Amino acid sequence: MNRITGLLALLAISAAAVAQGLPPLPDSIKSQGKVRVGVRCDQPPYGYQDQNGQFAGVEVDMAKQIATFAFGSPEKAELTCVTAENRIPQLNSKRVDLLIATLGISPERARVVDFTKPYRWGASDLLVAKDSPYKKLEDLSGKTVVVLKGSVQAKWFDDHMPKVTTLKLNTAADALQALKQGRADGYAHDAATLVIIGSKDPSLRLLEDHYQLSDAAMAVRKGEADWLAYVDASITKMRSEGMFRRMVEKWVPADVRSYYIMVFEQPKPAER
Amino acid sequence: MFDPAYLLAQVPALLGGLGMTLLLTALSVALSLAIGVAGGAIRSQRVPLLAPLAGAYVEVIRNTPILVQLFFLFYGLPAIGLRMSLFWTGVVCLTLWGGAYQIENFRGGFAAVGQGLREAALALNLRPRVFLRRVAIPIALRVSLPSIVNTSISQLKNSSYLQAIGLAELTFVALDRVATDFRALEMFAALGVLYVGLVFALSAAAARLERIMNRPYAA
Repeated sequence: MNRITGLLALLAISAAAVAQGLPPLPDSIKSQGKVRVGVRCDQPPYGYQDQNGQFAGVEVDMAKQIATFAFGSPEKAELTCVTAENRIPQLNSKRVDLLIATLGISPERARVVDFTKPYRWGASDLLVAKDSPYKKLEDLSGKTVVVLKGSVQAKWFDDHMPKVTTLKLNTAADALQALKQGRADGYAHDAATLVIIGSKDPSLRLLEDHYQLSDAAMAVRKGEADWLAYVDASITKMRSEGMFRRMVEKWVPADVRSYYIMVFEQPKPAER
Repeated sequence: MFDPAYLLAQVPALLGGLGMTLLLTALSVALSLAIGVAGGAIRSQRVPLLAPLAGAYVEVIRNTPILVQLFFLFYGLPAIGLRMSLFWTGVVCLTLWGGAYQIENFRGGFAAVGQGLREAALALNLRPRVFLRRVAIPIALRVSLPSIVNTSISQLKNSSYLQAIGLAELTFVALDRVATDFRALEMFAALGVLYVGLVFALSAAAARLERIMNRPYAA
């Protein structure tokens, strides 16, 4: 009798080691023996492929961590490279069971997939000349801001700050050049991209006034409530155990790390 | 599929782009014709110092892609303190490009003004300026008109390169809408129709001009 109790206790402990504080893994996933996750492969530091073609990045580590929660090994994450265009079709055609793919929450997308709770936020920022007087977004009113054609920032400035003249160019290289030549007073883009560019060029600085805020979340197919609950609990667990910070420290160089730690650990600022 | 309602909603934006394309083309065609007459005369008269300079200019423009010239003007020149606005960068780029070709067009025209005519003018004691204005240019213009029109049409079409620096001409407007709304079919169809229409109008005007100019000098 004592032995059986001991054995049960041991089983309980090992089960807890795999998934402490997590709801039961849904049968549909358990029977596969692996977690199939769609990740980006061109979005460092979130999801990309390193020189050897291996998946790398913060979101890739999150996928591996969920596989570890579920099956006790990061090897149980079957990773698929998805793009901005095909990620939702990949999920809904059941090629993957989970998207951790720089996916922003939007009402349009929420109609076709179920979002988990957000695991980080994202924002746009402005790159300006180091010696320029600008301190906040409003200071750019009446000025020229370079944006990329078709970017969310191009639309945001047209919608929210019509007094800003937007110079629409084709590539990030063109935009940077135009800013450095003084053809524009600021370069508006995704903050995560700008922190890296800004850190490489001492003549520029970030405005650090965030706008066009969004939440990034994982996504599962509609109607898989148990799986959604499991992933949600995994996110809570990763956050409470400080795993996000360790992943960021692993993948992001120290000089630009503070931005990434902020988007994972600080609450999202209010939309302007 | 093809959505006429969408296209209709974009007409104001496209017309704005069309206006900019026409303005750019008109300005740069006029300016490059002036460059062409002056440069063509200089080259055909073998004016010392100026003729080799004009020749070097023609070679530089003819032997480099216009996109490289555009980026040089837009991104390169500010580094040495010469910063033109978006619009004037566009005008200067098209003008310099067209000017080089017009010099060659006019040079060909002046070459058609025979030595005999020169001698006749000399014998009649016509001053060189009068000879140029009353004899050489009218003849040169008639001979080179088809190639002048050709170059002008190319300038019109080359104005689409200016989208690369963000100048809101016709192609820019269309590409910008495509990048935002993903309706490539409608926009590129509209672009095609508009450019063909413009070139057709320009060609028709040139044909008419040619007819007028080829009328014999009737008293």
